[in-house]
Order: sequence, then structure tokens, then C-alpha cells
Amino acid sequence: MNGKRSFGGGGRGKTSAQGAQQGKDGQRRPMFRRRKVCKFCADKIDDINYKDTKLLMPFVPERAKILPRRISGTCAMHQRKLRTAIMRARQLALIPYTAE
Amino acid sequence: MKRKYELVYVVSPDATDAQVTDLHTQVEQIAQRLGGTIEKTDNWGRRRLAYEIGPHKEGTYVLETIDGGGELMKEIDRRLKVSDLVIRHLIVRIDEEQSVVERTRTKRTEGSRRRRVARGLPPDRQPGEGQRGDTEDDDRFDVTEVER
Repeated sequence: MNGKRSFGGGGRGKTSAQGAQQGKDGQRRPMFRRRKVCKFCADKIDDINYKDTKLLMPFVPERAKILPRRISGTCAMHQRKLRTAIMRARQLALIPYTAE
Repeated sequence: MKRKYELVYVVSPDATDAQVTDLHTQVEQIAQRLGGTIEKTDNWGRRRLAYEIGPHKEGTYVLETIDGGGELMKEIDRRLKVSDLVIRHLIVRIDEEQSVVERTRTKRTEGSRRRRVARGLPPDRQPGEGQRGDTEDDDRFDVTEVER
């Protein structure tokens, strides 16, 4: 069986017979996407606090919009907590609402 | 009903230190009058605001942790709204969230301890243990090719 690669393989995996020979010598998987993991789950951060701007800033990139889940990979529960934290921090002018 | 609140207020940068402490004593007095206590005060000092609020670009941040009821916080909220010196304030109830955070934390450490003991290891992580080294190439997702 060769066509067993279901992820990451992209084009190569489907060219089966020839592709299988090339094995592990680098430059395979041209569009391998890293699986995104929730930062808060991975680092075991329970408390997403509005005072902790250092933690929140990576989730409000330059336009100062909240980074969506599909990009950051945050899980639903933590995205919810993140959202309230960011909104509170914005009220206190710790984080901008918009970029000028 | 004892609850725990967190109050942050931003004082205008024109205010003197005396005025800031005066504000703090005012809050304390209201708390005392309505049967609450201030647990902790933290002055973050002068910080740049993320955006301009009226004419201000900076502000002095003060954080207070208050034990007390809802009526007390209502009164403090009203007072701070009226005050000219305070340009922003925020009151958040924290006791519930804190207990949830504590619960998840103890649950996690207990769980990991139990599992470690079940595996015949000491309950706490030893220094230098379990570090897999920074191997960039994680081969868990590489399917081995089967020669035919």
C-alpha cells in the first residue's frame, strides 16, 4: 500500500508508485502545515487576566483586532476568556481599540 | 454576602501624588462605611495610554482589591463616575473566577501526581526530567513507506 499519507503530503502522496520511492530525503511535503495548538492549553495558563498585557498583545496584531481562532489555533474556551480579557483591557486603555 | 472585587482606576496625569492618595483614602472611607475592606492596593504608576482619552495621553493606574457587597461597589462606581480626576475605571468581580482557576489548577496537579505514582515515579517532577530535547523534526506524523 502506498497512498496512505492523508495529510501533509500534498501532490507527492498522490503520485503513488514513483513518489513512494523518494522516502525521507528532505524537500518532501511541500505544503506541510503545522497543526495549531491552543497556547493556553499547551502552556497551562488557567488565568487569562486583563492586566497581563504581555500575554494579550500577541492576540491583537497591528490593526488591533482580535486574532481569530482559525489563525491562532486557540481553543473555544480560551478564546472566550481571551475575548473578555481583551475587552476589559481596552476599556482601561491598556490595549488599543484600533490602530490609527 | 461577601464578594471580592477588583477595581482599577486611571487618574489624570495632571493629578499630584497627594491627590492620588486622597482618592485612595476616599475609596477606603466608602468601603469602611458600607462594611467592606480593602485587601490590597497597588499603584502601577504612570503609564502611556493605548489611545488618547480626551486631552490625555498618559495616566496613573491604581489597582485595589476590595472585599464587600454589591451596594458598596455601586457607590464607589457612582463616586468615580462623578470624579473629574478619574478618567477611566473598571470594576470586576473576581472571587468566582479565582475559585475556578484554583480548582482547575489543583485538579491538574493532583491528576498528574496520581498518574506519576501509578507509573512508579515520585509524585513531583524531578529537575531535568522529561525534556525531549529540541528536535525540530517531529517524526510522529511521518508515515513509513512500505516497499513493495
